[in-house]
Amino acid sequence: MANDFDSYESIRKWKENHLSEYAYDTYTLNQFHDLIMNKVFEAAITRIDNGKPPCDFCWFIAGSGGRLEQGLISDQDHGIIFKISSVENESYFLQLGKEVSYGLHVVGYPYCQGKIMSSNPMWCKSLEVWLEQLYRWMEEGSLESIRNLQIFYDARGLYGEGDYVQQLKAFIYQYQSNQPGIIKRLMESVMHIKNAIGPLGHFIPIEYGKYQGCIDLKYSAFLPYVNAIRLLAIREGLYETSTLDRMDALLQCNGAEVELINSRSNFQQLLDYRLILAKGNRYEDAHYLQISTLEKHDRKVLKQILKDGKRLHQHVIKLIEKEIGC
Amino acid sequence: MDPIFLMNSLWVMLGAILVIFMIGGFILLEAGSTRMKNAGHIAGKTIFTFGLASIIYWAVGYGFTFGDNANFFVGLSDFFYSGAQIEDASLATSVFFVFQLAFAGISITIALGGFAERAKFSAYVIFTILFGALIYPVIAHWIWGGGWLAEHGKQDFAGSTVVHLTGAMAALAATILLKPRIGKYNADGTANNLAGHNQVYTALAVLILWVGWFGFNAGSTVAVDEGFFGFVALNTNLAAGAGAVAATLISWVVLGKPDVPTILNGALAGLVAITASCAFVDTWGAVVIGFIAGIIVFYSARFFEKKKIDDPIFALSVHGTAGVWGTLSTGFFATPELASVGLPGLFYGGGLEQLGVQLMGVVSSGLYAFVISFIILFVMKKLVGIRVTEEEEIMGLDMSEHGSYGYPEQFTASEAKLDS
Repeated sequence: MANDFDSYESIRKWKENHLSEYAYDTYTLNQFHDLIMNKVFEAAITRIDNGKPPCDFCWFIAGSGGRLEQGLISDQDHGIIFKISSVENESYFLQLGKEVSYGLHVVGYPYCQGKIMSSNPMWCKSLEVWLEQLYRWMEEGSLESIRNLQIFYDARGLYGEGDYVQQLKAFIYQYQSNQPGIIKRLMESVMHIKNAIGPLGHFIPIEYGKYQGCIDLKYSAFLPYVNAIRLLAIREGLYETSTLDRMDALLQCNGAEVELINSRSNFQQLLDYRLILAKGNRYEDAHYLQISTLEKHDRKVLKQILKDGKRLHQHVIKLIEKEIGC
Repeated sequence: MDPIFLMNSLWVMLGAILVIFMIGGFILLEAGSTRMKNAGHIAGKTIFTFGLASIIYWAVGYGFTFGDNANFFVGLSDFFYSGAQIEDASLATSVFFVFQLAFAGISITIALGGFAERAKFSAYVIFTILFGALIYPVIAHWIWGGGWLAEHGKQDFAGSTVVHLTGAMAALAATILLKPRIGKYNADGTANNLAGHNQVYTALAVLILWVGWFGFNAGSTVAVDEGFFGFVALNTNLAAGAGAVAATLISWVVLGKPDVPTILNGALAGLVAITASCAFVDTWGAVVIGFIAGIIVFYSARFFEKKKIDDPIFALSVHGTAGVWGTLSTGFFATPELASVGLPGLFYGGGLEQLGVQLMGVVSSGLYAFVISFIILFVMKKLVGIRVTEEEEIMGLDMSEHGSYGYPEQFTASEAKLDS
């Protein structure tokens, strides 16, 4: 890759020209996304005060990027942790956050509708204020703060002092060791799953609209796995962010639990499906799988993935309820 | 005066009141199942068409149905009914007239349900007159007025065919000729859910109709002898309950969640289906008939939607498909003791004969209602048009047809926002 890009537009062109070379598996694709996003960040930082930040900092990505599970097109989820609290630093990094969000948007990472972006003061704070915020989120336990916590669990440093993210996570785990009930609250916020398999083992596709006859892979298939595995990872105090890495680590800690054994290959399969679906589609279309286009074998595989996902999800809920009590 | 005569008259009058009150149920059902911008129109036109249907029924409908000197299609006396008492009748003829008028009113209301959200007000006026004069009375005459189907022993105690199927077949013709509402189907053939604006209205509608149905079915005994109306009411309630339960289960299994519109349709389908058979079947039969109706109404609604027949209030499935099933059901479930008309059904050793009569009744009545409705509406479409313009449809029929909103604050507030 060329080292220097003089504009976001040139990064975008380079990305579009090379994307297909990296899109043969999700891991490689995510390495590519990391590279592109880093280049965008470098370009953004050069545009603000000639690339001289006032103190050390970490730019992290969260969401699917944090989990190394981005498809061909993903929206942006990111934040900044800077070392020293001051009004000037806050203003500098917010400005940088706005610039990088804009840059990512130009390069082809749509703005995050939930405003999880460094341009949002909530996601751009000093280390000290981040600690306060995380503490507040855990104490509050409101739906929004618990959702934010879940998002933060998936964060990983992409540029700068990656250790800041680990420090903040260590703080969360320390809180959790004193207040184990927090995991139950985290669990409650992800208990709802969009059921795509009926009691007779049939698909329950979308009824209306342009995705009629499709299965919503994101909500019916991905999220049960992602959420269940995240909960198990939190329970074990893991620092891995990708669902597959978390599964590997969990298998090492716990041995081969029945619910975990198939999950890894199922999840890998889902990632592959999405990559196939994403080709030639817009971001939102990449999550919808038209059932009628599937071969008999693929239908069977997908049903098993959906069933296993639901089973894993229920297993984790029961496990946590048993440990914490209802 | 004979106390039985008085009690019969009172009982049937109560039935008539209950059936007329069902018009209120239909207002809520149709308004709740459609969008806010058409709510006032739906409420107003339903009252208007019931008024108009009453006049037509008085002028010609009653005479065509029950008059003497009948030809193949209709009777030919008692036009502009004077209130005259028929000698030796077991109840006041005027009460019987009001009761029958109510049925005609319900049938036309069902038919007009197929017009929902896109027909011109003038289409309602013209079609009400022609349906009330040329369609409903012919079928009512055939089955209830001593016509050819009555002679074959066709069983339709309170009108699964006469009232519901007739209305639904007219609604089918209208739905086909009007074409789907704007926005119902996408260019690629997928359907959108144009959700009704108030499920509470729809549920209250179902309750009003459920209660009204005691007038419809139990009232159709037109007598208080031996309290038989109680048995009819019992069967009616069982079928409604079974329909609601079956629809809940089937939607839960297929869609993953118990779907509220389906639950409501299930109760109504149970009621429509038991209408023909309520006096002829055992209680277990009523439960099975209602249960099956609750299942078929779910699949019927999906079928019509797939065929791009846009039926906003499910008139075709609830009144048509369930009406057909209800009429056929007596061919299976009618018991020897209860079959006061016709023969016992297949499950009671009656063989296929009654089922055949029921099928013939469904096909002939359904075809007649569909073909005549289609011709009338087709001619209306060519001559004066039956659908509002695209602009009017988007604006809503409250404003385009009547000049005032059913929910004024809702719309005047958003208009003010647009202006500012």
